[in-house]
Amino acid sequence: MTTLTAEKLTIGYEERTIVKELDLVFPSGQITAIIGPNGCGKSTILKTMARLHPASSGAIYLDGKLIHQTPTKEIAKKMAVLPQSPEAPGGLSVYELISYGRTPYLSGFSRLSQHDRDMVEWALNVTGLTEFKNQAVDTLSGGQRQRAWIAMAIAQETNLLLLDEPTTYLDLAHQLEVLQLLKQLNEDDGRTIIMVIHDLNHAARFADYMVALRGGEIINQGTPEHVMTAPVLKKVFNIETAIVTDPRTSKPAMISYDLIK
Amino acid sequence: MIHPRVRFKWVLLILFALLVIAGLISLNLGVVSISPAEVFQTFLGQGTQQQRLILFDFRLPGIILALLVGAGMAISGVILQGITRNELADPGILGINSGAGLAVIIYIAFFQNAAGSLSILNTFILPLFAFLGALVTAGLIVIFSWKQGFQSIRLVLVGVGVNAGLNAILIAIQLRLEPQDFMKALIWLSGELWATQWQYVWALLPWYVVLIPYTIYKSHTLNVLNLGAQLSTGLGVRSNRERLILLVLAVAMAGLGVAAGGGIAFLGLIAPHIARRIVGPKHQVMIPVSALLGSLILLIADTIGKNILSPLEIPAGMIVSIISAPYFIYLLIKTK
Repeated sequence: MTTLTAEKLTIGYEERTIVKELDLVFPSGQITAIIGPNGCGKSTILKTMARLHPASSGAIYLDGKLIHQTPTKEIAKKMAVLPQSPEAPGGLSVYELISYGRTPYLSGFSRLSQHDRDMVEWALNVTGLTEFKNQAVDTLSGGQRQRAWIAMAIAQETNLLLLDEPTTYLDLAHQLEVLQLLKQLNEDDGRTIIMVIHDLNHAARFADYMVALRGGEIINQGTPEHVMTAPVLKKVFNIETAIVTDPRTSKPAMISYDLIK
Repeated sequence: MIHPRVRFKWVLLILFALLVIAGLISLNLGVVSISPAEVFQTFLGQGTQQQRLILFDFRLPGIILALLVGAGMAISGVILQGITRNELADPGILGINSGAGLAVIIYIAFFQNAAGSLSILNTFILPLFAFLGALVTAGLIVIFSWKQGFQSIRLVLVGVGVNAGLNAILIAIQLRLEPQDFMKALIWLSGELWATQWQYVWALLPWYVVLIPYTIYKSHTLNVLNLGAQLSTGLGVRSNRERLILLVLAVAMAGLGVAAGGGIAFLGLIAPHIARRIVGPKHQVMIPVSALLGSLILLIADTIGKNILSPLEIPAGMIVSIISAPYFIYLLIKTK
């Protein structure tokens, strides 16, 4: 099982410190949702944990090994990352894009092996994109496009999947589609999924573990029942909330909220 | 729908055929016209002394040079567009051509011997100078645009600025040249394939033989880099390092092109654009198609330039611009 942890992580952009001495442990084999207001550092933390952004100090361990001492290709075989609103070059086919997920396993001129092609077919299948495989990514709808990116990430054949706001810009049905796909990937293969997400109800419904941030600090973390409470959300978002248990999912859900005056 | 691989083979075949036709026409045209039949005969060793001289010593090296420079400029454009993720990037716009041009002008202004001809040694030093000029320029651009890594948009903006600055220096130096040298420099800077002798071909060929296959070898890296720095790092590509290596490759090919052909504008921009439209953005197919297109465009431009106002020669670079500018405007209008 792949584990990802951070110790005394400090992150900043130039002079501005965003996160200070943060300790984080993401539970293996579960879906973790990182929530928090704009500018709380959630995307920055995710990027730093994925080695896309340098940490000012502290340590990040992937399977007990320091990530900045591990070759980036080795990391890519254990951890796949999907940044916020990725863009594909015009005219690139869905199949091509997904095949790029096999990059960590290729060297030089080598072509896709049978196993590589099997993985691409599997990713197409799981994300329901088989019939679109020869279509250009930029001609797909928003939901299909996001599924294509997720397909690329899972074609990378990693135990760990990091996603930054995977449902942004999607309509309600497509948001659910993407989240259900992630849930399925988690349940079928025990994949660890860590995502930054804005919709609190989606976070509570699909995540096993939630981390609530504000100002670069963890305000609360634990199961959705533990984190999705009025006092925690008040502290994190500065809102007054009404939380109930959703009778369909038996998960906590927010039915109404208001600004605190 | 035609399978992409079949399509790629057909495109290569057609471009090869067009190159051969353009090459034959180019051999055929000139102050002394030699018919295709005579060209063929001469190749079989049955031509007259004069025909052999014109074909083998004057026209053929020029054609081969046009092929090499055209391919190099096109590939340089492909790389720069790939690593900056900006389809408007090319060695001309980023100031790399100007940097190479400046180095060559400085060399001509200060080191050229009184007779005005370049010695054998100079033949081999000139490309090196152009390459160094291009490299120093690229180095400056990278240093100015580096901010916690390789920033693509900054790279393009800084490049445009550096280009303007270098052009100012170029003009300043040109104005100090003798009128005769000034004319020569001016023609050269507008993209004249002047080095049409075998010795130049031999000086440049080894570079291309190494650099072009190496770029094709890097195709997949370019594909991934085209997704952006974050995704490429996520896929296990060391994006800063790879982009620097590829930048040096692009600079080398632009520098070589400038050394032999002066400032050929637009070619690095237009050839990858057309290639992308024909075969799509995958670099494994896009690079060879761009290279062939670059060769073809430059060869046609060179042939037109040499013959349209014969015996007056119009620099090939100007013809490329004249052909490319309307296409470029058309592209801008069509792009959403």
